[in-house]
Amino acid sequence: MPEASVRAALMITCLGDMLFPDVGVAIVRLLRSLGVTVEFPPGQTCCGLPLFNSGYHAEAAGAARRLVEIFKDAPYVVVPSGSCAWMVKHEGPGLLKDTPLAGEARRLAERTYELSQFLVRVLGKTRFGSRLRGRVTYHDSCHLLRGLRESATPREILENLDGVELVELPGHDECCGFGGSFSVRLPEVSSAILEKKLTNVEATGASCVVACDAGCLMQMAGGLTRRKSQVRAVHLAELLEP
Amino acid sequence: MSEAELATPFRDRAGRALQDGFLQQALTIATTKFLELRREAFGEFPEGDALRDRARAIKEATLQRLDHYLEQLVDNVERLGGHVHFATTPDDARRIILDIAKRTGTRMAVKSKSMATEEIHLNEALEAAGVTPVETDLGEYIIQLAHERPSHIIAPAIHKTKGQVADLFARELNRPNVPADPEVLTAIARAELREKFLQADMGITGANFAVADAGTVVLVTNEGNGRMVTTLPRVHVAVMGVEKVVPSMTDLAVFLAILAKSATGQKLSVYTTLVRGPRKPEELEGPDEFHLVLLDNGRIAQLGGTLREALYCLRCGACLNVCPVYRSIGGHAYGYTYPGPIGILLTAMLNGAASVKDLAHASSLCGACADACPVRIDIPRMLIELRKEVDEKKIAPWSERVVFTLVAWLLRHPALFRLAAPLARVFQRPFARGGRIERLPLFFGEWTRTRDLPAVAARTFSERWAALEREGR
Amino acid sequence: MSTRAEFLRRIRAELARTPALFPATPSLRPAHPREVADTIRRELSERWPATLQRFQQEFERVGGVLHRVATVQEVPSVVGRLARERDARDVLTWHPSALGFDPARGLADEKLTCRTMPEAVPDAAARRALRDTIATTPLGLTGVDVALAETGTMILRSGPGRPRSTSLLPATHVAVFDRTALVESLAQVAVLLEAWHADEASGAVINFITGPSRTADIELTLTRGVHGPKDVHAIFVERPLRE
Repeated sequence: MPEASVRAALMITCLGDMLFPDVGVAIVRLLRSLGVTVEFPPGQTCCGLPLFNSGYHAEAAGAARRLVEIFKDAPYVVVPSGSCAWMVKHEGPGLLKDTPLAGEARRLAERTYELSQFLVRVLGKTRFGSRLRGRVTYHDSCHLLRGLRESATPREILENLDGVELVELPGHDECCGFGGSFSVRLPEVSSAILEKKLTNVEATGASCVVACDAGCLMQMAGGLTRRKSQVRAVHLAELLEP
Repeated sequence: MSEAELATPFRDRAGRALQDGFLQQALTIATTKFLELRREAFGEFPEGDALRDRARAIKEATLQRLDHYLEQLVDNVERLGGHVHFATTPDDARRIILDIAKRTGTRMAVKSKSMATEEIHLNEALEAAGVTPVETDLGEYIIQLAHERPSHIIAPAIHKTKGQVADLFARELNRPNVPADPEVLTAIARAELREKFLQADMGITGANFAVADAGTVVLVTNEGNGRMVTTLPRVHVAVMGVEKVVPSMTDLAVFLAILAKSATGQKLSVYTTLVRGPRKPEELEGPDEFHLVLLDNGRIAQLGGTLREALYCLRCGACLNVCPVYRSIGGHAYGYTYPGPIGILLTAMLNGAASVKDLAHASSLCGACADACPVRIDIPRMLIELRKEVDEKKIAPWSERVVFTLVAWLLRHPALFRLAAPLARVFQRPFARGGRIERLPLFFGEWTRTRDLPAVAARTFSERWAALEREGR
Repeated sequence: MSTRAEFLRRIRAELARTPALFPATPSLRPAHPREVADTIRRELSERWPATLQRFQQEFERVGGVLHRVATVQEVPSVVGRLARERDARDVLTWHPSALGFDPARGLADEKLTCRTMPEAVPDAAARRALRDTIATTPLGLTGVDVALAETGTMILRSGPGRPRSTSLLPATHVAVFDRTALVESLAQVAVLLEAWHADEASGAVINFITGPSRTADIELTLTRGVHGPKDVHAIFVERPLRE
């Protein structure tokens, strides 16, 4: 494969590490099958987004500083979550603006990609195999859609999966109600928003709702199993076969 | 909302709104409709995006020289025969208006919908001074009869059914057997209010814009009440936040092109009224006196503050209609004059950051508001800034600050962070079934009351990496 | 209570400690709006049929009804028909000098009483009486300064002989215009507004009217005629009114 020279580091993210390790494993295998040398720099914890969004910016800057150091040598950084990718790309440079690491933070931002963007925009790969058959729908996570302005790459991949039919989700661009600490500060409101989302998901007749963000997946999966739904919430990487 | 109601925590107010079946239905219908109409309007208006950028630039340019444009406005209003007043506080504004009312022998004042007069609680002050204020926007009229507060910036009574309005009219207007038919109800309001327009001594309005170099106040309405109150009474008083000034008519046209599309999906609202002072001697109609009250109320301090961008706001309500939180709880639960995402910022501007210590978190930061805003106000960014302020000024509860400080510390110590997974596995053992957790105690129960939580994996990705690395060789 | 000086001082102090959010300038204004306005009118006069078509489309979308007549002599018969449909016997009209023609005789032929607004301002008592007349007349006939095609909007300036409530208090508003009133876009209107406000003789109010008065405040049900007219008609006269 011509991409054999590509080297990329996986930023697993806190939720990805502890709650969705299978997604990480799937990504490693997928990328390797595409000829990418995958690295996993040690010492990773969290991108600091929860701290940042709650207004703890000095603390979030600490997390940003660590990321710059951890991923210093990686030509590409691949993130399975749109929100964490947004944090690194969008907020990292601002948090470290007046520090010696400002330049490094900007360079890290440029090298960091959300998974579907990395697959399509860096590797130029849009066709994948999948064991899944039937109908799927796609939920635009807020940070990927409105933060990173990306709605095309996940859809392009899903549309090209053999035997898989992608149907548009009504209200696909509406929030699932997760919002980090919002989900536990105002659980009633968060759940009410989720209910609308899941009603829309079930109306599509899809067997699974795909997303590219651990936060949304945690929220939607939690709601789907609670309502004993047949629909599963899955990360894009879980569908793709090398 | 009354003080007593504000004493109820925001979370409980929101919870009550979620239980209100009719409110839920009304909110869904209204916000969905507004959303669709807005999308259609911009859909067939390809130059919309460029005009939004232009509008944003005009707002910023105006703020950069606000002193200059305000002086120009004041000079031109006075040149056209109007009087300008300066109100730093709501109390100043109320006193100015009451003085005018007293001097002109005003007994009844008809009002066109104005958030600025809501903000300064003018009606209560007028009533206390023996002046009867009559709201004339149909929605506001209903709200006033019901002794409530508006629940949406542009559709104040969307939380009421036609049945409720019919009952209200029957009771308050002494009209038994009113059918719950919007057409009939509107006709009744027309007849009632027509009398008031003709009797009133004073007309009170807000201002959507004021054009500096033309000394012109601009009012946008659909019902025509803005025209009524600026045409029939002897005195016209317009109350306007200082940030509403725009430099020229050329700039005004840019805003007119996007305001109604953002608010209701109309190309233009039915009436756009440009008021250039009092009646001219050669004209038959119009007020003998025109007063413009320029209102600060926390705005000026934000010219150099974190909420500066919120001063761009046109009060179109588009951010409310797209906000998942507003769509779930409606306007009243917010508890202040201005609801929705922009309302949280304006509340902080008017009442200080401490007033929004809970409201600042009433957002999932989904960003839909910033996308919908005609002048692209970065609302989520400022909500985060407010959260920061609440945290730095130690307004946030100490327990929360301890938790976040601890988490931050943990994130800096990966060796300890890695212990979190094994610890969680021990903690979750009594609760986890098939990789899911349905119920957790303490704070974690906030999640599991309505949602399952994925259990911490038997082996984290970090723990599996060594094997994966070998697999790759 | 604050003074102007104190207000401005605080604004300047705040601005002094704030960097701009981004570099920005207001819109470029035409240096000679009157000349630009004349040029626009001249250019538009050549493509008025397309502009009228667009106006009609947008005007009907907002609930207006457009009538076309060849000459001004036909205007009273249209007004007569509209009045009869509404059982109206009185018609309020702008002064002929403001309207561009005198409809009184034609309206009399239609068995309508024509209440013409005076050009000169009478004393206060007469003004009050006139206001009652306006408030109780079912149909108001006005001219139009600008018919804006992009939005189906009629723009009316107040002034001598053209009281602003003629288009507001009667339940039916009928407006008459010709090709010289037509403009295409809001941007063109902006030039006209620039030209007008430079004119000290301009009236106290300019009204943009886009269809009948409406509300959706009760359950979002669209209802017409809440305060202003329930019906809005435009009569387009093919032969220019002032030839």
